[in-house]
Amino acid sequence: MRITKPTRLLTGMALAFAAAGAQAQDKITLQLKWVTQAQFAGYYVAKDKGFYKDAGLDVTIKAGGPDINPSQVIAGGGADVVVDWMPSALATREKGVPLVNIAQVFQRSGMELTCRNDSGVKTPADFKGKTLGVWFSGNEYPFLSWMDKLGLKTNGEPDGVKVLKQGFNVDPLLQKQAACISTMTYNEYWQLIEAGMKPEQLTVFKYEDQGVATLEDGLYATEKTLADPKMAEKLARFVKASMKGWDYAVKNQDEAVKIVLKNDASGAQKEGHQKRMMGEIAKLVGTGKTGQLDMKAYERTVDTLMNGKSDPVITKKPVGAVTDKIFVASQK
Amino acid sequence: MNRRNAMTALAVLVLAVIADALLSRVQGDGPKGAEAAAVWWLLAGWVLLLWFVLGRLAQLRGRVLGLLAPALFGLAMLYLWEIAVVGWDVPRVLLPAPHAVGEALAARWGALRADFRQTAVSVVAGYCAGCGAGFGVALLADRYRLLQRGLLPLAGMAGAVPIVGIAPIMVMWFGFDWQSKAAVAAIVTFFPMLVNTLAGLASVDAMHRDLMRTYGAGHLATLLKLRLPSALPFVFNALKINSTLALISAIVAEFFGSPIYGLGFRISAEVARMNVDVVWAAIALAALAGSVFYGLIALVERAMTFWHASYRS
Repeated sequence: MRITKPTRLLTGMALAFAAAGAQAQDKITLQLKWVTQAQFAGYYVAKDKGFYKDAGLDVTIKAGGPDINPSQVIAGGGADVVVDWMPSALATREKGVPLVNIAQVFQRSGMELTCRNDSGVKTPADFKGKTLGVWFSGNEYPFLSWMDKLGLKTNGEPDGVKVLKQGFNVDPLLQKQAACISTMTYNEYWQLIEAGMKPEQLTVFKYEDQGVATLEDGLYATEKTLADPKMAEKLARFVKASMKGWDYAVKNQDEAVKIVLKNDASGAQKEGHQKRMMGEIAKLVGTGKTGQLDMKAYERTVDTLMNGKSDPVITKKPVGAVTDKIFVASQK
Repeated sequence: MNRRNAMTALAVLVLAVIADALLSRVQGDGPKGAEAAAVWWLLAGWVLLLWFVLGRLAQLRGRVLGLLAPALFGLAMLYLWEIAVVGWDVPRVLLPAPHAVGEALAARWGALRADFRQTAVSVVAGYCAGCGAGFGVALLADRYRLLQRGLLPLAGMAGAVPIVGIAPIMVMWFGFDWQSKAAVAAIVTFFPMLVNTLAGLASVDAMHRDLMRTYGAGHLATLLKLRLPSALPFVFNALKINSTLALISAIVAEFFGSPIYGLGFRISAEVARMNVDVVWAAIALAALAGSVFYGLIALVERAMTFWHASYRS
């Protein structure tokens, strides 16, 4: 049959729609470090406000949880990009999983050790002989580095400290099973306050103030993914849209909290707690270019991790563990 | 040695030689293309020869000779694991090779031994508490019919409680140390023991019970001289089941709050640090301990219930 003008027009339109449809199909899977909460507001905001869609990305956000280690998920092929902390990522890199930092979202550390005043702890010198609660699953490295810096052994010797593997709750402190527990400025500390403890009853040691802070939430991908130019280009778009989401979340915190709560499948998060979390997270995201890794902070983290005299977290200086290739591409 | 046995021994030797040759060929930068295919085909042939040898060995009888077939099977499984991991270059963080697990076991032996001691304390304490309580309650429920009706459904619920639910609660009640893990093991082992003891006490032949009645034996005498001995096979059944249950539940309970030693702690902490070979070493240690525990109870069972029909071959 003769190809008439209308047919050509219709065919052309069909192909254009198909192409547009095909462009919105770029799938990316993001694995978060913990459960859905304001700690990851930027990504949920980017998804809900359509920043990912505008960038031609179809992003699946997988929530984390207890004993889900994002580094292991990406090692097993369960995600294209993960949110993880730098100590865990560097340790995993040394074990043979080639993770690379492509963006650093949190510029400051939110980790702290919260102690009961009635346990007799007022300064780090008082830690000797006390019981301290620490998370594991990749979160113990900053604590171990700090104890090493203070010269305290963690095997329960009388002139060292007794360490408990605390669960992801604040009961050990409430029940006086530990003198101090690990908390985040944005989460567990407020759980203590909400459980009835008063700030005057607690002494807080922030890792930032103790000089042992390590870089926390950042985006990581594997070397293999980065070597593929198509994937690298997708990741650049992803980083750009995610940082846009973060900027929006920091400026519109109440709206960001509502978006996070909407995406919380478990329904366990409460608005008041999330609002406070969002406020604290905004302090950690920093004031510079959102997502840019500060090389000085990276060096500090590496030094903290390597300085463990008895049990260093990493034994050799990482090579190729960070790249600015994706971030630079995302700024175009 | 007759001709048949000589052929079997020769086949085992051939297996060993081929196994060693194949393994050394795939180490490092292994063969590519056609030669790689040849290696896998040769391995398939090796498995067929293994099958034949195992068939022959399984027919042997005797204390030592009877162990040859299972021993060879175990070694062959380890070998196939090793060659699969090395040959297919499986990442170490997904599945380490047996030799890596062995190295980790040797390197971290001090820590693993301390872990084992910690877990063993909670396992033994919980096992004794749970089995003792189950046995005691069963005796009471047997004596007082009213208890049986009321208690059994509740005990059933206690048995169905998931470990991952009860462990954090026990940690809150009993603290982080071995006591909370023992509590979890006790809860988990209570119900199997209760149910099996009751079943055993009820399994007594009606004729035997009538005989005791004609002798004028009271409840206690009938219990001690007739019903408890008949119930022993059932009781040992529960004891064997509970041996592995107590170990599993203590290890899982250690995931939810523990001091920084214990097999469960070691597994959860090292898996997060991607030291998967240490995880497998801890698993191997736990499996070995569980088998030894089970075997010990089976030996005691043999000594005490030698009269039971199941021991007549």
